[in-house]
Amino acid sequence: MITFQNVTKTYKGSTVALKDCSVEIDKGEFVFLVGPSGSGKTTFIRLLLREESPDSGRIWEAGKEIGNLPKWRIPYLRRNIGCVFQDFRLLPNKTVFENVAFALEVIGRPNHVIASQVPQVLDLVGLTKKRNNLPGELSGGEQQRVAVARAFVNRPLILLADEPTGNLDPTTSLGIMQHLDRINRMGTTVIVATHDAGMVNQMRRRVIELDRGIVIRDQAHGVYDLDSDTLAAGAGSPTGALVEQFPTADIEDEASTAGSAVNPSDPSVSDQTMARP
Amino acid sequence: MALSAAYVSREAATNLWRNRLMTAAAVLTVAVSLALVGSALLLKQGASKATHLWQNGVQTIVWVQPTAGPAQTDAIQAQLRQSPYVKVCSYKSQAFDYNEAKIVLPPDELAATAQEQYPASFRCVLNDPSQAPAVYQAFHGKPGVFDVKYPGQAIKTMQGVIRVLQWVFLTVAVVLLLSASVLILNTIRMAIFARRREVSVMKLVGATNWFIRLPFMAEGMVQGMLGAGVAVLVVLALYWGIGLNQTNAAVNTNNIITQMSLSGWEVFGTCLLVSIVGVGVGVIGSAFAVRRFLDV
Repeated sequence: MITFQNVTKTYKGSTVALKDCSVEIDKGEFVFLVGPSGSGKTTFIRLLLREESPDSGRIWEAGKEIGNLPKWRIPYLRRNIGCVFQDFRLLPNKTVFENVAFALEVIGRPNHVIASQVPQVLDLVGLTKKRNNLPGELSGGEQQRVAVARAFVNRPLILLADEPTGNLDPTTSLGIMQHLDRINRMGTTVIVATHDAGMVNQMRRRVIELDRGIVIRDQAHGVYDLDSDTLAAGAGSPTGALVEQFPTADIEDEASTAGSAVNPSDPSVSDQTMARP
Repeated sequence: MALSAAYVSREAATNLWRNRLMTAAAVLTVAVSLALVGSALLLKQGASKATHLWQNGVQTIVWVQPTAGPAQTDAIQAQLRQSPYVKVCSYKSQAFDYNEAKIVLPPDELAATAQEQYPASFRCVLNDPSQAPAVYQAFHGKPGVFDVKYPGQAIKTMQGVIRVLQWVFLTVAVVLLLSASVLILNTIRMAIFARRREVSVMKLVGATNWFIRLPFMAEGMVQGMLGAGVAVLVVLALYWGIGLNQTNAAVNTNNIITQMSLSGWEVFGTCLLVSIVGVGVGVIGSAFAVRRFLDV
């Protein structure tokens, strides 16, 4: 579904955002993108959205190379990608329904499609009752669910989330993650860039860790980082009580992967082959 | 492409209303400048028409020496009849000219001349008024000819004044049109700024560039059109208000304005041009704004 092949991106002023980054993500995967601020997570997302183009290297997305996509094709690429951000990016003067409908309206979907799709997706995120409220009347978690609904309403192949829970408390964050998980089970590839260690540790999905633009870890059923303190903290976090909701988290699996992936510079620690097939 | 006219017009109307003060300023500037363009065009058309009328109506006058005898007068008349330039000639006696002079000349000048010293004249209508200088060449200095007069210079001066007026009108109009485009550009820029959230979401979910741009361009076009509409009303008011719509049959030679009378088609053409320029200014202003400030 997504392939990065030796992608390098440098911004003006010499900061290297991504350096020789090669990653392969299959259809239907759920991937956490972790790493400190400035490690290149957001650049990764922006490259996928074609808000940036790589300096070198190639990127394939849904079977197409997007690095040299002509400008007029970009909107059509984005119709296959849903996107959720930390700051929700809802339109304050439109109701919940209108916000979600807007995404279909502006890509020219006819009214009957809007009338059938929007209630469905609002039901999916549990906001049917709030469909006529303005975003300002909703809690942060509800607003982010509207954003998730908007990202998913066009049934994208890929859903990108950049710090989707950055503004939310742990319980609410878990709710958002459950929605992303449900969307993932419907076949959409989900990529979440996050700092939320507790969430990553509970979900036990593939983790790609970036540091100063370099992929230093790519681990199936991974954790946020390999520091046991963080693991403990994650287990003790308020969301810890809800861990059983994610049956993919497996103690045995945790032990084996956490133990094997200690040396970031050794490519053998990765249980994903990074070479393009 | 499902880019519906309903969507574009709804968005444009919302924007126009939200930004109504700036919209009013832009529309008024367009209106004033286009009203000037329209008036300049009317003036030009009217002036060329009036000049044509004057030239055809004016007479070239050959004054006969007061001392000339009937033989010389007859000879002049014969030569005038043979001249290829002259259409008709009529002889006016010394008495007729003296009576006419009583009306035209100031009393002291008139007192210095007696009727016997006053020249008789041939009043000639030419086939082509612009050939008056040739008639002058042919008859000036001939025996018995006192002088040859034609009002070419007066017409030239008149035309010159009208030409200058036109240029002044057009220059002012062009400057105003430029400022109108800039005003429209600024209005659209503010509209884009006011809707930057919508625009960013639209880009995110994959709205095409034209889908994002068109409502803003439509907004500029509507501003240009409204301005042109006001200007057309001004032009029509001029046309009917000061009587440019008089038919040629009713032309009064003592009234400059009725001599400049225009047909409905000429005025229609002027209005059409004003409308096209108005829409053009709107589209150009908004196109610049969209190119410059809408980063899609």
